[in-house]
Amino acid sequence: MSTTTQNAPVEQAGPHEEETNYLNHETSIWSWLTTKDHKRIGVLYCISLATVFLVAGVLALLMRAELSAPDETLMANDTYNQVFTMHGILMVFLFLVPSIPAILGNFVLPLQIGAKDVAFPRLNLASWYVYLAGAVLTVTALLTGGVDTGWTFYTPYSSSTGGGVLWMTSAIFVAGFANIFTGLNFIVTIHKMRAPGMTWNRLPLFVWGMYATSIVQVLATPVIGITMVLLILEQTLQIGIFDPALGGDPVLFQHFFWFYSHPAVYIMILPAFGILSELIATFSRSRIFGYRAIALSSVAIAMLGFLVWGHHMFVSGQSAISSIVFSLITYLIGIPSGIKVFNWVATLYKGSIWLQTPMLYALGFLFMFTIGGFTGIMVGVLSVDVHLHDTYYVVGHFHYVMMGGSVVALLGGMHYWWPKITGRMYNETLAKIAAGLVFVGFNLTFFPQLVLGSRGMPRRYANYAERFTGLHELSTVGSQILGLGLFLILGYALWSLAYGEKAPANPWGAATLEWTNTTAVPIHHNFERTPLVTRGPYDFHLADEVFGGGDGEALRDDVPQIPEPAPSAPSEKETAESTRA
Amino acid sequence: MAHDGPHIVPKSVLLKVFGALIVLTGLTVGVAYVPLGPLTVPVALGIAGMKATLVVLFFMHLKYDNPVNALTFTIGTIFVLVFVTITLLDTAFRGDLGNVNAQTVQEIQAEEERAQQRQDAIPADSLRIAPSDYPDQNRGASMESDGGS
Amino acid sequence: MATETAPAPTETEAEHDPRPEHLEHHFVSSEQQFDSAKLGMWVFLITEVLLFSGMFVAYAVFRQWNPDVFAAASGTLNQTMGALNTVVLLTSSLTVAFSIHAIKQDKVKQCIYYLLGTLGLAGGFMVVKYFEYTAKFEHGVFPGGAFDPHGAHYEHLADMAMAPQFFSIYFVMTGIHGVHVVIGMIVIGALAIMAWRGSFSSEWYTPVELTGLYWHLVDIVWIFLFPLLYLI
Repeated sequence: MSTTTQNAPVEQAGPHEEETNYLNHETSIWSWLTTKDHKRIGVLYCISLATVFLVAGVLALLMRAELSAPDETLMANDTYNQVFTMHGILMVFLFLVPSIPAILGNFVLPLQIGAKDVAFPRLNLASWYVYLAGAVLTVTALLTGGVDTGWTFYTPYSSSTGGGVLWMTSAIFVAGFANIFTGLNFIVTIHKMRAPGMTWNRLPLFVWGMYATSIVQVLATPVIGITMVLLILEQTLQIGIFDPALGGDPVLFQHFFWFYSHPAVYIMILPAFGILSELIATFSRSRIFGYRAIALSSVAIAMLGFLVWGHHMFVSGQSAISSIVFSLITYLIGIPSGIKVFNWVATLYKGSIWLQTPMLYALGFLFMFTIGGFTGIMVGVLSVDVHLHDTYYVVGHFHYVMMGGSVVALLGGMHYWWPKITGRMYNETLAKIAAGLVFVGFNLTFFPQLVLGSRGMPRRYANYAERFTGLHELSTVGSQILGLGLFLILGYALWSLAYGEKAPANPWGAATLEWTNTTAVPIHHNFERTPLVTRGPYDFHLADEVFGGGDGEALRDDVPQIPEPAPSAPSEKETAESTRA
Repeated sequence: MAHDGPHIVPKSVLLKVFGALIVLTGLTVGVAYVPLGPLTVPVALGIAGMKATLVVLFFMHLKYDNPVNALTFTIGTIFVLVFVTITLLDTAFRGDLGNVNAQTVQEIQAEEERAQQRQDAIPADSLRIAPSDYPDQNRGASMESDGGS
Repeated sequence: MATETAPAPTETEAEHDPRPEHLEHHFVSSEQQFDSAKLGMWVFLITEVLLFSGMFVAYAVFRQWNPDVFAAASGTLNQTMGALNTVVLLTSSLTVAFSIHAIKQDKVKQCIYYLLGTLGLAGGFMVVKYFEYTAKFEHGVFPGGAFDPHGAHYEHLADMAMAPQFFSIYFVMTGIHGVHVVIGMIVIGALAIMAWRGSFSSEWYTPVELTGLYWHLVDIVWIFLFPLLYLI
């Protein structure tokens, strides 16, 4: 204990005007590329993922533009196939799966549990480089003829078509390791690196969400790895596991693929649940309702999520008995998800709600995730799915979960932690406008798709029957509004980096450690002394005594630069030493 | 290592475990020559499972280790079983639905109706004269073979 | 999985005052660092288990569909060599366990001998595997599309529709297992060199412990592969 407190202030330059923090203690490009600091790796990931999201998002806008009229408008059918394939692959494998864990998980998780870093910082950096290697392979796939299999790579088409499929599957194999490294790191960090007093019942719910996510990442990702290896061998050596022409079984490929890819859905949504819990508790300033239920339902979803993969295969010709079992277990997933939504709503009840931008995203999430969840139950019904399978209904459903859920939660989380990451405030007015545009644009894009699907519009077609024109046009307009909102966010985010108001240490009056126990921008080693945790993450009544904020007063009253962070329990420093020893 | 006195598994224990592993290897080879019928796979997997358990508990110290590590490994194993079992639930029962057919339900019903109508349209056996009185070839063929036997 | 690389020839016994060289800045104590590394390794091991599980599922599915073909194809594998390799790998597991046993008591020299012994046994395993593979290739038994069995022992396979599937699974499973053995050999070789340079002691032997865990897992995979592929 004594050693840690001695080591920590090494980076401190003393009471100078310019505070030393993780951003400015070293500034060369090389120091960024070789950093083992979890915060900097989070920022590196943020830049890479934002780039991928931009590319994949522009592809989506192009698709919607093509679909604005029934016939060919913008691109040939083959081009359209490649565009929707790349949109899916980039969004799923290179953006959504790593997104929240790699950006916010990396940045926030060690801070929230009072650790100096993740357990394996070198592995963490390696994860980013492996991810980049995956991205390079993806670009190679594009240059070698592109991929038009859809993001699911179903055999036999994928094992017999040439082009970039080989490169693309290797890219997914490689990028999988980046996720495994992150998940492994988080599991060990949460188990072994918690500050004294940070018991399992005092973990912020974001940490619980990350914990459940990491379990899924570690258990599921290796299976997509071996699937991709077998697919590559199928192409190169014709080993005949999946290709019916060689005696293989294409449905077996679907089992392999969905054993990963269904849990991957929970890799994308569980961290979003974690962010939601933080946002709702902080901005209604009330203790989260049913802490343990939310925490454990995350783990329950993670586990149940492994037992339902076959509901993607109801029309594949799998056995009826397995379809029935999969359908039944799929209904069960609704229970923990429902528990969460009810608990969040109950937290809002009688809270003093503060409608800042992150909270707007949180409320939007509640609305859109609920639609996503209910439509999910509907496609989980065996007989209904036979009608809805491979229609726009499914497209609408998973965009409500993935985009309306995950991405909206990520946006909320980015706004929430933006002051901590960059030390700057964003423009609140513009942010609220953008949040409105995203909400309206999103619903306008995807709600018509639910209707289209139920009327029989199949997915993955560049052209369609005349009678679908109106709804498709509506959806295209929605996508443009959504795009406008997202570009507005990009604009004011970049602007705030240069001109934004300097952020105080705790602008939201939050009660978790990353706000209460660090400087406005955290120092290289996160905390000047290891925090001693004496209260739960949402005990605002206890936390107020420490930072004296609340209901946004902190934003106005606090001096932008707090000279020294308030320790959570100043009088108990001795206790901390004895506890540690 | 700062942790006080790392647990050391005595060499004698390691050697005993090794002996047991060799014996079990011999056993599994021997059992392969005994015709066990449907029990062949379970017996082979059972012996392999015993060997793996010995390795995990003693060579990998899981018996003396932090329970979290044991829990981790157990969860991993459970999910392998889930993967195998549920996949087999499909592949072993593929095509278990009796009415799975290339035709749709409507087609089948329509065909049955047509057959019914033909049945009605066909004159009684005693009145059949021309080949056109036997519109359904299959039915006619089977009747002929019946008659031949 | 080398989570600790700093080869720290540390002699410090003190609990608190100078931080031992092998202790990284973000850990409070050596114990925390060791426990973290070990849990990390176990988590890594379950990813390995699930990686192999995919191939076991493929095996189970195709065996359940074609039990007779699989039994016949399995009969062409060389049981003696398979059993020999099982014993070789089990012995190498024992020597790795002994090397950890030795380093925990600061017997560095013994530890090096046992590591080298393991390396030798692993090499022996690969040599046996080489002879098995070449014997198959000589008779046209290749994975997948190139499957064209001929010669006395293998001719009857040509008429079996699903025999290529068995050999595809056989070559993929043993091939990926073999890759793991080679990776293990490289790491164990590196450990032996590090031990020779005096990097390890009873104070800090985390890499030896972790590699031991990895090697035992490679052994466990073979324990299952042997009866499934060679015997039944």
